[in-house]
Amino acid sequence: MSSTTIVIVIAALVVVLAVAAVARSRRSNDGVDSFRRQIDALSPEARRPVVDQVQNAAERNAPSDDVTDDDPDDEDGARGT
Amino acid sequence: MVPVARDLAIDLGTANTLVYMKGRGIVLNEPSVIALNRQTGEVLATGREAWQMIGRTPGYIVAVRPLRGGAITDFEITERMIRLLLQRVGVSRFTRPKVVICVPSAITEVERRAVTDAARRAGAADANLIEQPMAAAIGADLPIDEPVGNMVIDIGGGTSETAVISLGGIVALEAVRVGSFDIDAAIQNYIRREHGIAVGERTAEEIKMAIGSADPTPQESQAEVRGRDLMSGLPKTVILTPEEVRYAIEDVVSSIVSSVVRCLSKAPPELSQDFLVRGMYLVGGGGLLRGLAERIERETEVPVRMSNVPLEAVVLGAGHVIEHYDALKGMFMGARR
Repeated sequence: MSSTTIVIVIAALVVVLAVAAVARSRRSNDGVDSFRRQIDALSPEARRPVVDQVQNAAERNAPSDDVTDDDPDDEDGARGT
Repeated sequence: MVPVARDLAIDLGTANTLVYMKGRGIVLNEPSVIALNRQTGEVLATGREAWQMIGRTPGYIVAVRPLRGGAITDFEITERMIRLLLQRVGVSRFTRPKVVICVPSAITEVERRAVTDAARRAGAADANLIEQPMAAAIGADLPIDEPVGNMVIDIGGGTSETAVISLGGIVALEAVRVGSFDIDAAIQNYIRREHGIAVGERTAEEIKMAIGSADPTPQESQAEVRGRDLMSGLPKTVILTPEEVRYAIEDVVSSIVSSVVRCLSKAPPELSQDFLVRGMYLVGGGGLLRGLAERIERETEVPVRMSNVPLEAVVLGAGHVIEHYDALKGMFMGARR
């Protein structure tokens, strides 16, 4: 086996090992990143739009007191005295 | 051009179904009831309209709740109910949204499959499940992104769940298949047994809301209850006191309180000390029972606070998940390892 072949084989091995190391590091970083993204998405700042939507809806609905009577002709029923 | 569906979060509860549409908020809030023609199988009504028919239908119509204890009891009817509800919020065969559905944490693998299959067959492109207490904690705006103990008690129509949540995950969980419908049933049974009259489930619910309590409360009043005398078959009126109602529902209330105590005992000590400062948060329609927060507080010696949005907390939490779908998809049931 010529020295050139040996160098090529070693170089190929080094490249394979480097690629594997990068992939492994990326996988472990994926876990960290996805956990970080999840925690960030649960932060009060991220939840603010949903909370605001509810508050706005509550404010919009507050003046219109149009609750319908759902049980107008109840045969049996309960009434506080 | 094919219209794009807006993704949905659904709180498929035993009592009510709420739908949150991405970017729009809560777009539907209806009782989980469907009315069918018994002979043809045709759907006659869903939601509030069907709820008004409960106990008042002629022989050929049946108004039913297809979920009990947070689980599907009739797959086909549930699928039809979900399909109709999704149609009402704009889902069609051309607009198939991603759907996140809140379910009790205690449901079995088979029951989970039933819910996701029902949603997919009803028009969802993809259906994922999230535990109700987790969704409730997000919706109640608890700081679950921090390494502190957050405790949430979700009392629904058919289930009561207590969870300790920290850093976006469930640390301890306790669930019982007992909820506010069991309180209604206990009131019905008590009136039948002690007063000899039959009342419907809607009347029992009205009694609970009028004078029901888990602990003595100030300014209590009595209720006039009308029903059918079991002996004569004639309409009859009796007076029911709050003490009688408390006695009637004691077993159900005790069961709920015991599950909260069991969950507290499962919590790691580092988080337990947080509860004394931060308290526990009560959500769900069952949590509105008068005196329940005081009763839990008295028996656990931990402060109990009511959520600002007790009825909507679960669907709002799921709505937040649908708004941040990619970041939070790790929270779906089955996604965690």
